[in-house]
Amino acid sequence: MRKTNLVPALLAFTTLFPKTVFAIQRFPKPEFESAYTQPQTQIPLPRGEFMAYLDVAVLLIALSVVTWLVLKKRSRLWVFAMSIFSLGYFGFYREGCVCSIGAIQNVSLALFDSTFVLPLSVILFFILPLLFTLFFGRTFCAAVCPFGAIQDLFAFKPQALGSRLNTVLGIIPYLYLGLAVLFAATGTDFIICRYDPFVGIFRFTASFGMFLFTGILLLSGIFIARPYCRFLCPYGVLLNWTSRFSRSHLTITPKECIQCRLCENSCPYDAIDIPVTTKSPESSPVMVKKMMMMVLIVPVLVIAFGYAGSRMQDTLAGVDPRVKLAKEVLSGMRDAGSGMRDAGYKMQDAGYKMQDAGYKMRDAGYKMRDAGYKMRDESFEIKAFKASGKTESQVYSEASAVLKKFYIGGWLFGGFIGLAIALMIGGRMLPVYRADYVTNKGRCFSCARCVDYCPVKS
Amino acid sequence: MKQKIFIISGLVLLIAVVVIMFADLFSSKQADQANPYDYKMGEIRKSDSTRSAYSEQMIISPPLAEMHALACGAGDRIFVAGKDTLLIYDQPGHSAGRFLFNGTASCMTLDKKGNIYIGMQDHVEIFDPSGKLIKKWKTFSDESLITGIAVSDSGVFLADFGKKIVYRCSPDGRLINRIGEKDPQKNIPGFIIPSPYFDLALGKKGELWVANTGRHSLEQFSNDGTLNSAWGEANMAVEGFCGCCNPSHFALLSDGSFVTSEKGIERVKIYSPRGKFECVVAPPTAFIEGTRGLDLAVDSKDRIIVLDPEKKQLRIFVKK
Ligand code: SF4
Ligand code: SF4
Repeated sequence: MRKTNLVPALLAFTTLFPKTVFAIQRFPKPEFESAYTQPQTQIPLPRGEFMAYLDVAVLLIALSVVTWLVLKKRSRLWVFAMSIFSLGYFGFYREGCVCSIGAIQNVSLALFDSTFVLPLSVILFFILPLLFTLFFGRTFCAAVCPFGAIQDLFAFKPQALGSRLNTVLGIIPYLYLGLAVLFAATGTDFIICRYDPFVGIFRFTASFGMFLFTGILLLSGIFIARPYCRFLCPYGVLLNWTSRFSRSHLTITPKECIQCRLCENSCPYDAIDIPVTTKSPESSPVMVKKMMMMVLIVPVLVIAFGYAGSRMQDTLAGVDPRVKLAKEVLSGMRDAGSGMRDAGYKMQDAGYKMQDAGYKMRDAGYKMRDAGYKMRDESFEIKAFKASGKTESQVYSEASAVLKKFYIGGWLFGGFIGLAIALMIGGRMLPVYRADYVTNKGRCFSCARCVDYCPVKS
Repeated sequence: MKQKIFIISGLVLLIAVVVIMFADLFSSKQADQANPYDYKMGEIRKSDSTRSAYSEQMIISPPLAEMHALACGAGDRIFVAGKDTLLIYDQPGHSAGRFLFNGTASCMTLDKKGNIYIGMQDHVEIFDPSGKLIKKWKTFSDESLITGIAVSDSGVFLADFGKKIVYRCSPDGRLINRIGEKDPQKNIPGFIIPSPYFDLALGKKGELWVANTGRHSLEQFSNDGTLNSAWGEANMAVEGFCGCCNPSHFALLSDGSFVTSEKGIERVKIYSPRGKFECVVAPPTAFIEGTRGLDLAVDSKDRIIVLDPEKKQLRIFVKK
């Protein structure tokens, strides 16, 4: 087209077909005629390796300092001060990342997927708190973990829940841990990150829904101190178990317990075990019976829950986006199938109604409307699948591979939960004997609150 | 008792958190499928009726296949032109004349004598009040597209979208000077006109106003091209001009206020002589979505005439 004709044609075109032109233009259209030159898109460099190791160094120093404050200085005030530092640094400054809790997923995925590279800093974030816990108890929870620190600020009216409630609610973290590992290992999702209640607060980016979720959790934390730590945190499960073997765990009293009972109600987390002096006199046959039951209960529960887990294969796999897509494609096919059947009926009807062109027009109108609805209702996943050029059989075979993984995963997950429940039951069945007030090594966060209540100072 | 209430409250909240989490994880409900990159114009198109101070008094439906150019002449007669035809309506909206020409009108104005100046894409044609062609100017350039025209004693002013410049010419088509060329030394930013809507108008004292649409502003120039003032802000809200380039058209009321029209979010509004938003004449809901090219004219009684090329109407708005 000659230049002379181009401009009038443009005007005529835009005026004659305004809708067409409008439809293809994005609005607002970018300015493209000023002298402004678009800057090159900046791709932010990944946080330098040095910085990643700086984080690890800060973690190591914080762990060491807190451990010293807990075990040597035995000062709640200093522990609290450190928790504020950790909240500031690991929470608000580092925006909750890298996080030892979330690292569970990275480690799980790396164990099951060799193509997933696990950075050393993530390994260290995962391992260091566990190592410290193994030797000194949960000093990480005391004042290094920003999640614990933020919840501590809300524990205004902590209530004792009693051991039964603590045990029952204590199952939830096992469920969460089991699911987190299962979904990470199968490459489904990182659910610890997805439901991380605090990261949105640390980053000031929480959606309203997430803000509400965090708000409810923190509100519950007014009465149930550190609800996330005690009844949700999947890393807490690992810390709990490692801490049970810790050699130099914090003790309430530095010397002999004088049974003054001053510390009895000092722990907001129900982590002080009171003395059980009168050993319930249990006869040997009863003990043997209990032991037999224990020996039986473990495999029975593991198998029963494992089986139940494997039966949940579909539900568990339903979280996986590949399975979700396959389901959607399949349901689309089913719709199309019934659509074709309906079309058959319609054609038959059309035969009857051939003489009535008006009806046909109306039906055509309905069809167009339905097609419109279908196009509108199609999910992004389906649209993306259609655009990807993948075949349906590829989608199904991917999904069936995932389903297989979830069959085994379901067994392992269920078995793990069964084992946890069996151990809890066993723990309650075993006779205990305690002469003094002691911290429950598994549950104690080493916060050093109780230390202040103990009149024996050195 | 109090303790029990505390425990129960804490437990209820905690269980709520757990239930929300697991329900969300296992629900097959699709996440919000709204496209986050969609322009959600619906809200912006809604208008606040309290800011509307005009009502539609009359609608004229000219029998024209295309309508691009609008002007108001003596006796408040309305002139509208499109392809090959110009129609004239009197103040009550009755047909008052018609003549034919060759070509497509892109803009139009009248001088004191009633001569009609029509921007014909790349040149100007002048007709006497009876419709006789008096003068046909030469083409300015192959790329020219005249989209705005105004005439005063100082000359004929043309807004050329193709060249992004305003020409001041003598009535016989001789170029006197160019206005609005980018000149950082004189603080003239130049015209940024991304789409072919480039309007100009003259104030009561003959001062020239030009819509620099890409900068979302109206700029006032002296005849020699000095930039004297400018106003306008880019804003989706009713106070500003939306999109890439607006206002697409404008006209001046007798008190020096501005009537502006926009595309994208189709709306007609009034701004004070100092450029402060005053009120809405016609909200987006008054137009078919996608309408563009809402040319404007104002008669001696400050009635606002809007050329609606989509509805093919001349719509006359008066103050409530
Ligand atoms: S239990 Fe979990 S969330 Fe709480 S302090 Fe320990 S690691 Fe952090
Ligand atoms: S140190 Fe342990 S037992 Fe003592 S108050 Fe803190 S969490 Fe409870």
